[in-house]
Amino acid sequence: MTTLALQRVEPLATASAGQPFRTASGGLIDRNRPRDFTFDGKRLTGFHGDTLASALLANGVRLVARSFKYHRPRGILSAGSEEPNALVELRSGARREPNTRATMAELYEGLEATSQNRWPSLALDALSVNALLSPVFAAGFYYKTFMWPASLWEKLYEPMIRRAAGLGRAADAPDPDTYDHAHAHCDVLVIGGGPAGLSAALAAGRSGARVILVDEDFATGGRLLAERREIGGESGADWAARAVAELESMPDVRILSRTTLFGVYDHGAYGAVERVSDHLAVPAAHAPRQRLWRIVARRAVLAAGAIERPHVFGGNDRPGVMLAGAVRTYLNRYGVLPGRRIAVFTSSDDGWRTAADVLEAGGGLAAVIDTRTDVPPALRRMAEAAGARVVTGGYVAGTKGHLGLSAIQVVDGYHSTETIACDCLAMANGWNPVVHLDSHLSRRPVWDEAIHAFVPGTLPSGMRAAGAAAGRFTLAECLESGARAGAEAATACGFTATAETTPRTDPESIDHTPLWRVPKPRGKAFVDFQNDVAASDVELAHREGFRAVELLKRYTTLGMATDQGKTSNLAGLSIMAELTGKDIPSVGTTVFRPPFTPVAIGAFAGHHRGKEFRATRHVPSHAWAEENACVFVETGLWLRPAYFPRPGETDWLDTVVREVETVRARVGICDVTTLGKIDIQGRDALAFIERVCANPFATLPVGKARYAVLLREDGFVMDDGTVARMGETHYVMTASTANAARVMQHLEFCRQWLWPELDVQLASVSEQWAQYAVAGPRARDTLRRIIDPGFDISNEAFPFLACADITVGGGIPARLFRISFSGELAYELAVPAAYGDAAWRALMQAGLPYGITAYGSEALSVMRIEKGHAAGAEINGQTTARDLGLGGMLAKKKDYVGRLMKERPALTDPDRPILAGFRPVDPSDRVRAGAHFLRLDAAPSLEADEGVMTSVAYSPSLRTWIGIGLIRRGAERHGERVRAYDPVRGADIEVEICSPVFVDPKEEKLRV
Amino acid sequence: MSEAATTRAPSSLWRPRGAWEGVAKTGRHGAANGPAGIRLTLRENFGLATLIAADGKEADLQAALAERFGLSLPETGAAHVEGERGLIWSAPGQWLALAPSPQGLRDLPEVLRGVAAVTDQSDSRALVRISGPQARALLAKGVAVDLHPRAFGPGRAAVTSIAHIGVQLWQRDAGPTYEIAVARSFAGSFWQWLEHAAAEFGYEVEASAV
Amino acid sequence: MRIRCPYCGERDNGEFSYLGDAAPQRPDGLEASAQAMHDYVYLRDNPAGTIRELWYHAAGCRSWLVVTRDTRTHAIEAVEPARDVARARRSGEAA
Repeated sequence: MTTLALQRVEPLATASAGQPFRTASGGLIDRNRPRDFTFDGKRLTGFHGDTLASALLANGVRLVARSFKYHRPRGILSAGSEEPNALVELRSGARREPNTRATMAELYEGLEATSQNRWPSLALDALSVNALLSPVFAAGFYYKTFMWPASLWEKLYEPMIRRAAGLGRAADAPDPDTYDHAHAHCDVLVIGGGPAGLSAALAAGRSGARVILVDEDFATGGRLLAERREIGGESGADWAARAVAELESMPDVRILSRTTLFGVYDHGAYGAVERVSDHLAVPAAHAPRQRLWRIVARRAVLAAGAIERPHVFGGNDRPGVMLAGAVRTYLNRYGVLPGRRIAVFTSSDDGWRTAADVLEAGGGLAAVIDTRTDVPPALRRMAEAAGARVVTGGYVAGTKGHLGLSAIQVVDGYHSTETIACDCLAMANGWNPVVHLDSHLSRRPVWDEAIHAFVPGTLPSGMRAAGAAAGRFTLAECLESGARAGAEAATACGFTATAETTPRTDPESIDHTPLWRVPKPRGKAFVDFQNDVAASDVELAHREGFRAVELLKRYTTLGMATDQGKTSNLAGLSIMAELTGKDIPSVGTTVFRPPFTPVAIGAFAGHHRGKEFRATRHVPSHAWAEENACVFVETGLWLRPAYFPRPGETDWLDTVVREVETVRARVGICDVTTLGKIDIQGRDALAFIERVCANPFATLPVGKARYAVLLREDGFVMDDGTVARMGETHYVMTASTANAARVMQHLEFCRQWLWPELDVQLASVSEQWAQYAVAGPRARDTLRRIIDPGFDISNEAFPFLACADITVGGGIPARLFRISFSGELAYELAVPAAYGDAAWRALMQAGLPYGITAYGSEALSVMRIEKGHAAGAEINGQTTARDLGLGGMLAKKKDYVGRLMKERPALTDPDRPILAGFRPVDPSDRVRAGAHFLRLDAAPSLEADEGVMTSVAYSPSLRTWIGIGLIRRGAERHGERVRAYDPVRGADIEVEICSPVFVDPKEEKLRV
Repeated sequence: MSEAATTRAPSSLWRPRGAWEGVAKTGRHGAANGPAGIRLTLRENFGLATLIAADGKEADLQAALAERFGLSLPETGAAHVEGERGLIWSAPGQWLALAPSPQGLRDLPEVLRGVAAVTDQSDSRALVRISGPQARALLAKGVAVDLHPRAFGPGRAAVTSIAHIGVQLWQRDAGPTYEIAVARSFAGSFWQWLEHAAAEFGYEVEASAV
Repeated sequence: MRIRCPYCGERDNGEFSYLGDAAPQRPDGLEASAQAMHDYVYLRDNPAGTIRELWYHAAGCRSWLVVTRDTRTHAIEAVEPARDVARARRSGEAA
C-alpha cells in the first residue's frame, strides 16, 4: 500500500531529528534554520539551503511523481535542471505552478508542494492500469489507436488521453505577481558558475572588462559545491566562495544567480530569466516574481557544465534509481544520504567516487557493479574492504520494489544472476556536455570519440566553450580552460587579460567506457523518463521505418516536453545507431532550440498584461470626455470617443442619431487629433508633394487646402487626406488615423531613398496639435466666439478650403482649416496640445447658445457615409482611385508614386467594382456591411458575385439604413436593383444602387 | 505658469493642461523602506522645437545657433544642455531645441529662415527628469541602449523606445540624471510603465521647480 | 538580430522595419515603360547569401538604411544610410 520501503528502516542514530536521511554534519545547508514545508499535505521539515528534492530525500520521501503515460511511480533522478521525473505543483491558489522541478525549487518556510498526474493519491493511482495497457500506449499510439472514426477524436479520444496522460494543472486565477524586464550589456558574458565559469569570470573581471556571470543555481560554484575536491589546498566550495567574493568586489562584474540563460540569439544577444522571488512564499512588496533579462555581450564563455547519463536497463525508472553525481550532490552539498544501502552501477571511474563518498559519510555501500572488466585494483579494494559486493564486467538487468527500489538484479561476467538488496542505485554512465545553448543558432554539435559524447561544433560568433561544456571534464581542465577562455574573451574586447596559473587540484581519473543499454534488460528499460519512452519504443520506431533522428523524436516523443531530452537524447540515438548499424555521429542529433528550460509566459509578458498589454493613446479632449460619460472605442492604439450618451438615451443609436441631427441642424465638435499631421517644409516641398500625391498641387495657393490622394507604387490607393499650404514653402499634410505611421514612413522613404536630391524637411506634428472638427450651420458662429478678434472668418474672407495661422483665447497660436468630412459648413481648428482641453471646453461653451453637441467617431462615420466619402473599409489596399470615384482628379502631366502601375489592364477594367450608394427597396430593411451583391435573378456563386457592401449606417437624414460599397460598373448603374446577399447573417434583401452622396449632392451646405 | 502664457490667456478657461496632469501623482511611492532610489521630476511649460537643417546648410545652422543659444550643434548622438536650455540630436540633420518656456523659441523660425525648418513641438512631448541612485537600473528595465558610463555619459542622447513607446532621452549629468521625452498621447501608458519599473526601488515624484 | 545603425549605434532588430531588396531602382514614371515599372515593383532576387536590403529605423532616427546581410548566417557586413547610397548613385549616373 502506501508504506514506502524506506520508512521501515530505522533512522541513522546520528540523523537530524525528523529527517531520517540527513547526515549528522556536513553539507552547505544551515542546520540552525529549519524550514517547514508540506508535500501532498504532509508536514515535513528541511533546512535553509535545501532544495525541495533534497528535503524530500532527507525525509525519506522517494516517491514524488507519476509518469506521463503509464503513471509509473517516479522519484528523483538528478539534482539539477535536467530532472525529468520529480515534477510537482508548487504553491496553491492563484500562485499554483505546475511542472516545477523539485530539484530546482529552493526550500522556503511554508512551501507547499503537491504531486501531480495521479488520482486519487500518489501511492494509489487508479490510472496506473495504463501500465498494463502499455502495448496500446507504445510509440505512435496517437496515430494508430485513435484513427477511426475521426468524429470521435474531439468527443472521446482527446479528452480521454488528456485525462490519462499529462502533467500538472495551471492555476485558474490571474497571477497576482508582477514580472519585470531588464536589459544588460557587457564585454564578457559567462554562462555557468562552476569552476570553469568562475575562472573565466575572474580572468575577465580582473582585466577590467564588464562581466556578467549567469548561474541557474541559488548558490554559485556548480559541481564544486557537490564534490569533495581540493583546489590549492582548500575545499572546492571554499575556493568558489572566495571567487564569488572577489567577483562581487569588482564594480563592473555582475553575478546573476537563480538565473537561467535560456536562449542564444544572433549578434551576441541572449535571453535569461532571473527567479527573483521564487525562493520566497510571496515576493517582497513591490518586488517582481521573475525578471526577464535581454543581455547583449561582445563575447561569451559557455561554461554550462555537463549532464550525467543514465543507464538503460529494466526498471531503471524506479524511485531510488538516481544519477551517481546527484547522489554525491545530495550527500556533499545537502548532507543527505539518499539510501541506507546504496549500490553503484558504473561504466567509469567516476562512479567509484560516489562509492567513496558514501563510505566517507558513513553510509552503507551495498555493491558496485562496473560494466568494465578492468577496474583499478585500489577502487575494488576500497569497496570490498567496506563489505560491498563488487561485480566487474557485469550489469544491472532489472530492479525490484513496489513504490521504490528494494533490490537490483545483477548479471555478472559469466551471465549468472544474483539479487542484491539496496534502496538506492547510483548510475554513472559518463557525462554529456551541455551543448544546447551553442546549438541554438542552428549549429550542430560534433561527436568526440575520446569522451564518447557530443561537444560543441562551430560555436556562435564571439562564443568560447570551457570546462565540462567543452568536454574537458577534470577539475584541473575546467579551471585552466575557463581562465583561458575568460582571458581570451576579455582580450578580444580590448582589455589586457592573462590566464593566471591555475592552482593545483587533487588527482582524478575519468576513465570511461559507456554502455548504451544493457544486453538483456528485465522489464521496461526507459530511455526518456519524462515521456515514458522505453528502449522497446526506439526498436518499434526502427522497425516501422522512423529511423531519422527527427522522425524518431516525433514518432516516439523522445526528447520532448519540459526537459527536452537532457538525460535521454543520447541514449535514444545510441540505440538507433546500434539498430541501424551506424555510428552515433552518422545518426546525428536533433536541433536544440530555445528555451533551455521552460520560461513562464508571465516573464515574457512582463509589464504588458491586462490594460497594459499594449500602449494606449489618449486624445486631448479625453478628460472632458470622461467627465461626460463618453463611450470610447479602440482605434489602433488610440482610445477615441465613440459617442456621448446623454441622460435618457438608452441605445447607442439614439445617441448617434441625436449627435448627427445636431451637427446637420446646428453645430457639433469632434476630436480629430488622431489624424496624422506632417509639416512639410523646404525649397522643394512642392516638388516633393507633387511626387507623393496623385492629384496636382502646383496651383495650390498659400492659404488654401486641397484633398490629397496617395497611391502605392503598385497603383492602389494608400491613403487620403489633405494638404494645406501654410506658407510659400510650408505645407501641412494629414493622413488617416490608421495610416499615420505608415504614411510618415513612406514619405521618409520617398525623401531619403527615391528623391534624395530634393531639399525637403519632414516633421510629424501629430502630437503637437490638438485638432477639432467644428461642423454644422452654426460652426462659424461658434468659432467666432473663441478666435481672437481681428481675423475674419466670413465666407468671403475665409471660403471653403481656406487655411490660416490664427490665434485663439488671447494670443494662443492656432491653425484653422475650412475643410469638411461631414458635408456641413465645417472647420478644423488646431491648437497646441496643452490647450486642447481648454479649447474643447471653450468650444462647448461658445456653442451653448446654438445647442452644440460633442460627437464621436460613430456620428463622424455616419456623416461620412451619408456623404459617400471613402474611408478605411473602402481604402482597403485593393481599390484604385478610379474605383473610389477619384479617377478624375488624378494628375496627367507629372510623375508620382503609382502613376504607371495604376494603368495596368486589370486596374482599368471597366468591369471592376466601383464605389456606389445603396438603399434598401423596403425602407424598413437593414443593410449590412459585408453583404455581397447579386443580380436579382442570379443564384449565389462566386461567378455571380458583383461586389461587396463596405460601410453601412442608419441615416438620420434619410430615416433609413444606407450603405456604400463596391459593385461592378457601379457608376453606370444608379437606379438598378440588386440583391444584398449576406448568408452569414441570413439576410438577403433588395437594394437600389444610387449615388454614394446621399446628403447635399450639390455641396451647397459646404460653401455657405 | 509662464509669464507670457498668463498674459495671453485672460480667461480662466484657457488654462494649459500639463501632459502629466491626471497621470502622475506627486509624493513618495513604491517600496517604502529607506531613501527613495528614484526621483522623478515632472517638467511642464518648457519650449521644444524640431530643427531640421536645409540641404547643405548645417554650417549656417551651426553658426546661427551658436549666436542665438551660445551652444554648438551637437554631433550625432549628443546633447548640449545647459540649465533649462539645450540642443539635442534626434536624427541626421535634425535636433531638438529645448528652452525654459515655449516663448523662448518663438522667434526661431525667423532667425533660422532658409537655414532650417523649425517646427514648434512644445506641446508634443511629456518630459520627465529621472535621477536618484537607481536611475540607471530603472532605465535598464526599459531602454535597450547601453547606459553604462563607459558607453553613455553626460551629453549623450538616444532615440529609442521603452515598453514599445517611442522616447528620446539624454543624460544631463553624471549623477546620473536623465531626461526622457515621450509623445504626449502616450504619457499615461508611459507613466504606467515607469511606476511598474520604479516600484521596487521606491520613488519620489515632484513637480518641476521651473 | 542586431543592426548597427550608422547614427544610433547597434540596436535590436525590433527597432527596425524591413522592406527588402535594395537593388531595384525606380524608373522615372513619365518615361519608363510599364514593363520596367513592373519589374521595379515586383521583381526581387532571393539569394542564399549576401544581399543588400532596405531597413527603416522606425523606433530610432527614422533613417532608411541599406544593410548588407548574409541570408544564411544573418552576418551583417555593412550598414549605410540609404540617402547617402541614393545620392552616390545619382552622382554616379550624372558622371
